[in-house]
Order: sequence, then structure tokens, then C-alpha cells
Amino acid sequence: MDALELAELAVRAAEGDEVLALVNRESSGQARFAGSEVHQPTLIENEVIELQIVRDGRLGLAASNRIDEEAVKALAARAGEAADSAPSDPSFPGFATPSEAPLVEGYDEETAGLAPEEQARLAAAAIGASSLDLYGYFTSGLTELAMASSNGIGLRQAMTDASTLALAAVDGASGYAEQTSWRVSEIDPAGTAERAVATAERTRGAHELEPGSYAAVLEPYAIAELLLYFGYDAFSARGLLEERSFASGRMGDKVFDERFSLAEDPIDPRGLPKAFDFEGTPKHRVELVEQGVLTSVLWDRRTAYEAGNGQKSNGSAPPASARHWGPLPFALSVAGGDAESGEELAERVGDGIYVTRLHYLSIVNPREGVITGMTRDGTFRIRGGKIADPLVNLRFTVAVPELLAELHGLTREPVLVNETSFYDERYPTGVLTPAVATARFDVTGIGGGPGT
Amino acid sequence: MRVYQFRHQRAETIVAAAFRPLVFPAVRELCDEAVSAALAAGASYADARVVQRRSQSVATRNRRVDRLDDVESEGIGVRVLVEGAWGFACDNGLSSESARATAERASAFARAAPGGHDRALAPVEPVQAEYRTQVEQDPFTLSLADKVEQCLRAEQAMQHDDVKVTAAFARAMREQKLFVSSDGAVIEQEVVECGAGIDAMAAREGITQIRSYPSAHGGSSAQAGWEYVESLGLEREAPRVGEQAAALLRADACPAGIMSVVIDAEQMQLQVHESVGHPTELDRVYGTEAAYAGTSFLKPHDLGSLRYGSEHMNVTADSTTPGGLGTFGYDDEGVPARREPVVAGGVLRGFLTSRETAARIGNGAGGSMRADGWSRMPLVRMTNLNLEPGEGSLEELIAGVDEGVYLETNKSWSIDDKRLNFQFGTQIAWEIKDGKLGRMLRDATYTGRTPVFWASLDGVAGRDAWALGGLTNCGKGQPGQHAHVSHGASPARFRNVQVGFRS
Repeated sequence: MDALELAELAVRAAEGDEVLALVNRESSGQARFAGSEVHQPTLIENEVIELQIVRDGRLGLAASNRIDEEAVKALAARAGEAADSAPSDPSFPGFATPSEAPLVEGYDEETAGLAPEEQARLAAAAIGASSLDLYGYFTSGLTELAMASSNGIGLRQAMTDASTLALAAVDGASGYAEQTSWRVSEIDPAGTAERAVATAERTRGAHELEPGSYAAVLEPYAIAELLLYFGYDAFSARGLLEERSFASGRMGDKVFDERFSLAEDPIDPRGLPKAFDFEGTPKHRVELVEQGVLTSVLWDRRTAYEAGNGQKSNGSAPPASARHWGPLPFALSVAGGDAESGEELAERVGDGIYVTRLHYLSIVNPREGVITGMTRDGTFRIRGGKIADPLVNLRFTVAVPELLAELHGLTREPVLVNETSFYDERYPTGVLTPAVATARFDVTGIGGGPGT
Repeated sequence: MRVYQFRHQRAETIVAAAFRPLVFPAVRELCDEAVSAALAAGASYADARVVQRRSQSVATRNRRVDRLDDVESEGIGVRVLVEGAWGFACDNGLSSESARATAERASAFARAAPGGHDRALAPVEPVQAEYRTQVEQDPFTLSLADKVEQCLRAEQAMQHDDVKVTAAFARAMREQKLFVSSDGAVIEQEVVECGAGIDAMAAREGITQIRSYPSAHGGSSAQAGWEYVESLGLEREAPRVGEQAAALLRADACPAGIMSVVIDAEQMQLQVHESVGHPTELDRVYGTEAAYAGTSFLKPHDLGSLRYGSEHMNVTADSTTPGGLGTFGYDDEGVPARREPVVAGGVLRGFLTSRETAARIGNGAGGSMRADGWSRMPLVRMTNLNLEPGEGSLEELIAGVDEGVYLETNKSWSIDDKRLNFQFGTQIAWEIKDGKLGRMLRDATYTGRTPVFWASLDGVAGRDAWALGGLTNCGKGQPGQHAHVSHGASPARFRNVQVGFRS
């Protein structure tokens, strides 16, 4: 039985005014290595049915990975009980009706068929190319999403992803690189490892830096992470409606540098394309920031209905398990600039710091977009327009809008940065972004040096 | 007040039959087949775990249901050691064919794994044993509707003019697990967890503030029945939570400076988690989390000699703590639960270990290996990591401060990859002047370097102020795993702490 047939079976087994079934199938392998040898190798085969039932305006959900007719009937009974246990919800807009999902790329036969031995071989290629101890992984997977509903929805998407993450590290030195695509043929594990080594070799002898405000170049890995954390609140309609996000009271305002434009672009083939969201609404590109002006946020059916002003979902519903977040960005895309490289951005900065990667971000103040975290695995001083002496890991506490308010430039070509969490069911996501040079990056403390 | 009408009696009867618990003798056969297949494929060691989880989550927000889920998951995970290399594979199918195929795939993956492998495991006595959580009220006998009603009542009690968002949540989980190893261990365990919490978010004139109870980020959980949720008294605490969220809108911002701080038990639990728990995980010390969660400022040779903090600092890893989310009979390598010192009198006395890392350091016997369900390989995780109580009360700690702040309930948290530099924010703070609490303060943060901070500890309140809190979102590993861990702590006092940002 294919995934859509299974979703349809679940819909038929359920009794309710409306029924929506989602099937997520995962077949994946992850060869995780440390100290240049694999230590956490994981092969996963799983298939989950999630069934939502509405009875008299009451919504309940049950999920199971038991896949047989008896189990599906039991699942339907549990989802029905959940629905009957809920109070009627006048703000529930009902499930989506069928509409045509875009044809997207994102599936590659070779990636889907990659055997565990091949996954191990690609991990070995990264390890073999590193002159330093290597930490990271090679992973690839096939994820199938299928959705069926009593309203006539019948959607299916198979998506593949492959990724190499490389941290080259020894005591006192570390460098980071990664590469992600939905086509394994585009992944170069050895080249990724070599880039990590090249960065690591420049981090020996790192010194401390006096806290203060610095101009900075943020590599794609760093700015992607920062934008994602900022976006959880700032670009979610739920935060807007609840008056707690940066966007509250600022829609239509020019709040960032005019060189900064940002979209949620789930259909871009350079990313990890998605055809529909977790409510069955077709995905499309959504402009969030145009030349520094805050133009839109992400909506799902629930928040659009709550807005009460004719707002429509723009295909941004999260998985049901993350519904409390409201709509979430899964495919942020930053417009490229005019710089050829990070080195050119460093020239424009003149005096500042160069940041490869961030670590352990936390939102300090969602209303003002204040985020704290650490830099790691390639932090350098920029002196005289050149990437110069290495620095220890720096604590930063930045208001993202201030960081984006004055930019020295962005690199021309966006890079896909993997943001797949690999927790729970696989759902490959990433951010497409160039490197960014900002006039203001607030360093508020110092941590340990680079390396293990 | 009647919050909503019940309409679920008929369905409950159906649901009682709709959930199928594990039948241990049947899954024992599957585990045996998997282990045998792994050995036949060349494994020198193999273990198999069949795990079944059922969890219910209820979340209400602004007095409507945001989430009402009943989720089950089951499968088999097989871990093998082939010529010194680990392999792990898992499958949601529970059949003889899938058990054998999973073992063979794990073995093939291990054989293909690059690296010069040389792994030894600390010995463990293989046992045939059982462990079960003792519960007073099975949470799955309480209807989902009752759980919803409790959340809605708590929300109702938080209402306040300036409170824009109220939220309440409750969860229950039962996990059944059978572990079989090629050493001869057969261990059957059943764990029940329950938890709940409430949030109130207030907003006015561009300022947003939040208060939570009993802790931020999803409330608190315990290994217990529904009696734990009842004991939290959400509805009783809700008015205070709503009022404080609103009051914070008019509170002064916390001043920055170097000062004495008294930290409440909840924030101390997270402080222990981040700055003692993670750095003492021996796999991190050896670098196996370097690419993701990070390493540790500790080195293996620091054991027994490194001064972690002041003499007031006593931390134990205790997988026997009653009600702890890290309490079990045996870990996921079949190592029995135990209570061991991690820091005693301020000196590092122990690491959290697996059989592999214990053998590598030549000390300890493992006991901290835990996997997130059936589909993940066990990793070194915290169990229950507790700051042991000192003496006296919270009031006495505050009385010993001329000028400082009292900090309560985590709001933000971040720490570097070596667990040295941390910055925490709390939801609320109070000025301390001349030994007494003064005005309420908002947006408090404090920052420090782990050993310097713990060296400034000069008082931990006593047993009466000690509280156990459980969190379910401790992330580690790739693919990622959520660990459920508990921490016990009393309020504690630290001197010369940087409050606010340096800039």
C-alpha cells in the first residue's frame, strides 16, 4: 500500500464531520562520526499515520506507527475519542478543500536508493579527506508525505535529502563546513571536509576580544541560524495576533536595510522543495521583507481565520505537534547581494569580526528580536579589510533588527544551509542565504577557545 | 464555573480496547531473534529493545483547545558491535522478519563504518529483572475531557486585563520496554510520566512579559501518575501567575552590574542541567558530540582533582530519585540504577558514563545510557542530577545580601559548546536591599563562566526548600534525541555575579 492509499484507508476508517489523515514515511541513514570514526550510526525505517477528526466543531488527533487494518481502526477510535473530549472550537476554520499543489522538484532517485554501505562510504570520503580529526555525519533519506481528507484532498510528495556536516577539530583549533542538497550527486563530502580543515588551521592561537559592538561578516551558516530563531516569532502570524512579536505594530514599516529582502520560498529548487503544508494548503513563495520593508508574515488556516479580515493561509501550517508555535518558516530565502565572497565583505567591513557559525541560540526578548548565543568553529578578527587573527568563542546578544538595519553588503550567491533537526519524524528543511556584513554585532562576553 | 460540556462517555469504552499494550513474552521472542541474527551476522555483542510509547498531550490557549493528541509509537531497535564498530538499525514493524532484517542491517552498517575501531565495554552483570513506576492514579484512566477541563480552569483563573495570552498544558506518557542483550540480560520496564504547566503572557505599550508555573518551557513532569498534576495546583497558582505577568509590564528593568544573586529552585535546576550535567557527560568529554551539542571544559584527568565550585557545591547523579524522570531500574545497556557523587565539596568526583566510556576512562560502570524510544541509539544522558540541599531557608539566603537581586523562573538560556560561558534570563526578579526583597524587576539576565560562578556559591537552602523539576526537551545526538531528565535543587546564593549584559 502506498502512502496515499494508507492515508485514504485511515480516512475511511474514521467517523466524523471532517477527517484529515497524514502519512509520513521515513527511510534514512545517518553515519555520524567523531574523532574520524563512526560512533552513532543509525538506520531508520518508520511510517506514521496521524488522523484528525472533527465532530460538532470539536477537533481531536491520534497518531500511530502500527500499520495494519486493525491498527487503523483503533487509531480512528482514539482520534474520535480525542475529538469528543474537546470543547467546540468556534475559531476552527475547518479542514482545507482541495486545491492544486505546485509541481516541485526535490526528489532524486539516486538519493532515495542510497544503500547503508554507500552512506558509510560517503562518510568515509569526508573522513579520508581531513588532515585533522573529523566530527560530523553523512546522512541521506527518503521522506514521503501523503495527505487525504473527507473534503477530497489527496496529496503526495516524495522528497529526498543528503547532507554532509564536517567539523575539523583538535585541541585549540576547529573549523566548520556543511553541504546539503536533495541530490546526493551534488554533495562533495571530501570537499566539505577540506573546507572545514582550511578554516580550522586558521584558528590556532585564538585570543580574547573586549566585549562591545563590532561590524561583522556572518557566513551563511551563522545568519541562517539567526534568521530562523528570529523568524519563529517575528514571521509567525500567531506572534503578530498575540502582540508579542517584532512584527506587531510594524507591518509595512521599513525596519531593515534596503539591501535586505527575505522570502519564505518552499518551491525554490535550490532549496528543499515542498508542495503543501501540514493543513494541505499549497505552498508558494511569500515575500516577508522587501528592500527592508516588513511586508508579510506566515499564515496558516487557523491564524488567518482568527485574524478575521479576509486573510488567507499562505501555506505555512506547521506539523500538528508544533501547532502551539503557529505558522513556522521552513524555507527562508535571503536575496543575494553584490559581493563576490566573504573576503570581499571583510574588505567592506574594514575593522570587525568574521563569524563562521553560531551555537545554542536563545530568544531573550521576542518583541525586540533580541537573541543571545555563541560563535564557534571559525571566529576571526577583521583588520584592514582582511580576515586576520583568530578569536575565542564570543557570546553575542543582538537585536536582530538592529543587526539588519545597516548592512555593508551580502554575497551574490545564496547557499543552502541545512536546518533539519533530525528529531522525531524526518522533515528536511533549510535556509537559502548569502553571507551578510553588518555594521553592528554586539559581543557581550567570551567563552572557551576553538577546538575539542 | 462550568467550562464546557462533556460528551465522551461512549467513546471511552471503545478507546479502552483501541490501545494494545505490549505482550512481553511475544516481544521477548522478537528480541531473541534479533540478537541471534546479529550474532550470526558477525556481531560480538548485540542488544535489542522493543519499545512502545503512548502519550497524551493537551494544550489550551486563550480558552480554546490548541492540541489534543493521543499518540502511540512502537518498534524495535537493534544495536550491534561488529569488529569493534557500532551499528544501529530500527524498524516500526514488530515481526520476526523485521527483527532479523533490522539486526542484519545494523550489522552491515557497522561492518561498512569507517575508522579504526577498538571498543571495550565495562562489565555488567546480566540480569532478568522488571521495573515499574508506582502510580496512585493511572493517567490513562482519566479521560482526555477531564484533562482538558483542568487546563481550561487553570486558564480561566489567570485572566487579567493586560494578559493577552493564557496557556495551559498537561501530558501523560506510558512507555513499555523490553531489553535483551547477547550477555544474557532480559529486562522489562514500564515507566509512567505526567506533567503540566501554565503560562500567562501580558502585553502593553510595546512591552511583552511572561510568567509560568511551575516552570517555563512546558511546565514540569515527574515519573508518577496523575496525582503529580493534581499536586501542582495549577488553578490555585494561576491568579498569581496572571497578576505577576501584568505587574511586570510596569516593573523597572533589572539594573546591570556585578552583585550578589539569590536564584530560585527552578532556575537552579536549569543551571545544574546546563553547567554541571552536560559538561560531566563523559562522551562529550571525549568529543563525540563536538559537531553538534559540543564538548566539555572538563578533561578525563580532572576526575578527583578539579575544583568545580565552592565547598557548598554537592551534586549527585541519582537514577533512584523518587519521581525523577531519570529514574529507572536499569539503563538502556542493562546497568542497574544507582546514586553517585558528581561533585562533592566542590571537587569533581564523577562523570556520567556508558559501558564504553567507563571502560575507556577505567572508572565507573556506566549507568547513564538512555535512548529516546525505539528509533534511537542510546547515548550518555543525564538521569536525575541533583544539587544536594544545604541549610536554612530562602529567607535566610536573602537576609545575607546587602544589595543584589532574587531571580525566579527561567526565561532564556544559552551556554557555549564547552559549557563555560553561560547567559540565563529569568521571567521575574526582585531587588534585594539590606537583606529584604524590594521592588519587582523585569528582563533580568545573568552571565558567567562555569567554574568561576560555582566558586562564588556561598549558600544553598535546606531540604525544606528543595524541589524536583522534570523537563522533557533535553536535546542531544544526530539524529536528535529528547531526554526526559529531572533535577532537584534548593534556592542558592552566589556572590559577584554579572547581572545584565556587558557591552
